Amino acid sequence: MEGLVSRNRHLLVPFGLVLVLGVIAAVRAPQTFTYVGLAGALLVAAPLILAAIAITPIAIAGRGGVDLSIGPLIGFVNVTIVVWLTGNGITHPVLVFAYAILAACAWQALLAALIIHVRISPIIASLAGFMILSGVNLVILSRPGGFAPEWLGNWGWGTELLSPVLYILVAACVIWALFSRTPLFQHIRLMGADERTAYTSGVDIVKARYAAHLLAGVFAGLAALCLTGLIGSGDPTQGNTLTLQAITALVLGGTSLSGGKGGITGSILGALAMYLVFVVLSSFNFGAISGFMTQLFYGLMLVISLMLALVTSRRRVAAV
Amino acid sequence: MSRRPKRLRAEHRGLVLGSLLLVALFTAASILVEGFASANNIRSILLLAAFLGLAALGQTMVATVGGLDLSIPFVIGASNILLAYLFGTSLPAPLAILCILAMGALIGVLNGVMSYRIQGQALILTLGVGFAVVGGAQIFTSLGSQFSGTVFSQVPGWFSNIASISGTTFGLKLPPVILIWAAIAASLIFWINRTRAGRAIYAIGGNRTAAARLRISEFRVWVSTYTISGLTAAATGCLLLGFSGGGFVGVGDPYLFTTVAAVVVGGTSLLGGTGGYGATVIGVLVLQVLTSFLVGMGLDYAAQQTVFGLLILPMVALYARAPHIRYQI
Repeated sequence: MEGLVSRNRHLLVPFGLVLVLGVIAAVRAPQTFTYVGLAGALLVAAPLILAAIAITPIAIAGRGGVDLSIGPLIGFVNVTIVVWLTGNGITHPVLVFAYAILAACAWQALLAALIIHVRISPIIASLAGFMILSGVNLVILSRPGGFAPEWLGNWGWGTELLSPVLYILVAACVIWALFSRTPLFQHIRLMGADERTAYTSGVDIVKARYAAHLLAGVFAGLAALCLTGLIGSGDPTQGNTLTLQAITALVLGGTSLSGGKGGITGSILGALAMYLVFVVLSSFNFGAISGFMTQLFYGLMLVISLMLALVTSRRRVAAV
Repeated sequence: MSRRPKRLRAEHRGLVLGSLLLVALFTAASILVEGFASANNIRSILLLAAFLGLAALGQTMVATVGGLDLSIPFVIGASNILLAYLFGTSLPAPLAILCILAMGALIGVLNGVMSYRIQGQALILTLGVGFAVVGGAQIFTSLGSQFSGTVFSQVPGWFSNIASISGTTFGLKLPPVILIWAAIAASLIFWINRTRAGRAIYAIGGNRTAAARLRISEFRVWVSTYTISGLTAAATGCLLLGFSGGGFVGVGDPYLFTTVAAVVVGGTSLLGGTGGYGATVIGVLVLQVLTSFLVGMGLDYAAQQTVFGLLILPMVALYARAPHIRYQI
């Protein structure tokens, strides 16, 4: 038990946050915790949860790697599913799944190639990616519209808890659990903590960085499927807002952008905390300013959790 | 860390490349777009460049010490609506502007102090501060008003003259903000290159251990750069109110990534220690000339974004590449 707590110390803040917010939500908005309420919550929160999971391996891989392009990437897969696949009558689930994951992986491989071979810093590569993709999305689909494949659009009813969205989230966790037990993952972490040490210890840093990005691509593809299911159509700008939200969730979850540590448990907790803040604030009648309240609280949560993480980590250093 | 001598000239390489790109873009645009080289168009390019240039000033300072300030667009939006709100009260206009500038500087100090111990995550911290600031400003201005996000009030004529396209300087048809920007840029470049305090910024960005040996306080330099950034962001927000005449919180949104893009295209490495405001001025001009060019070619905002993104990559690949890991050991 002692070991479990000390090993997962970085999860204390996000876990406490989710717990407190969960209790407040249960009091203020009890309908959230009914069968239908949970099913709806799962559906709405899934794209953010998966986006936060997707940027986790890239953050762990270090070099200040925060993938700003994740939102537009999810948006890109969303609009291309609607325009290129459904528009041409390609709606078979296997093909759509394969397309979503492959397209996202291809983009991530491109980013990784820019970072590894052209040696551009990750933040600039993904910044350029954000601009390129958010423009391309609007060129492909200038305004929200179109239809998702029927089976995918049906996810958006959100009345069943045991839905495909839940299975996707479980699958994502299983993929992560398996991958995080491989030596390759340890290499990514070592590279993230100290790239020079990793290189001199014989870690194949090229392979490790590609792996981190490809893993992110898989999760980004799944996030795009969940987003398409949620909105049932194509939206060229909806994805963009996910970038800042996913980064917020990641940091709330205790994953450090300096690399080398963190995991998806934190990212999931962070995304849940953000969803719960939204639920709690909606339960108060703020009227026209409710959107501003949400923004204010997201900001305060980010700053406070960063400060708390700083305090807890310093105490641990002092104790050693 | 071994450093190849070639990298010492990276700063100048960026300046030369940027200037060449600027001249090439301007020439191409003048040939392809009718009326591009007209006085009106150049005036509007310079006016928009002045806003972006002021906003990117702080970003350059922060990037020189290896940080990033993502609160800039939010501080711009917040100052914009707060100043509009203050203009609606009985507070004298100059005092209102001073209040907003002080608020911007204070946010900068907060950013700097809080991010000092977590420098690798400065961009996230500033993002959080930005969310909180813009949320708070909107709540403050929209209490008791049914228009959320926009604030209506009378902007004093002398203030809108400074920043609007029809503004004149001593009878000359040139908005004063352009001259103000030029003066600020010149004095900043002088200050950075010729004073001990200015060089300290490069010292910290280049090598923190060596800077500490020279008794340069890393904390003071770090917090100062963020304070400058908060101050210039607030100034940009105020000037944009003079430009548009009405407070709107979303006015800062385009500056989230364009300030970073201007810094990067100019040639300041985000790793710290190289580049400078002269480079950023060229980066700002390149972006504004390109925007005007693309608009003249009939491309919409979406396509402009894509072109910006595509421009950043080769520019960075040309002069801000990290050395291979073999050379970093």
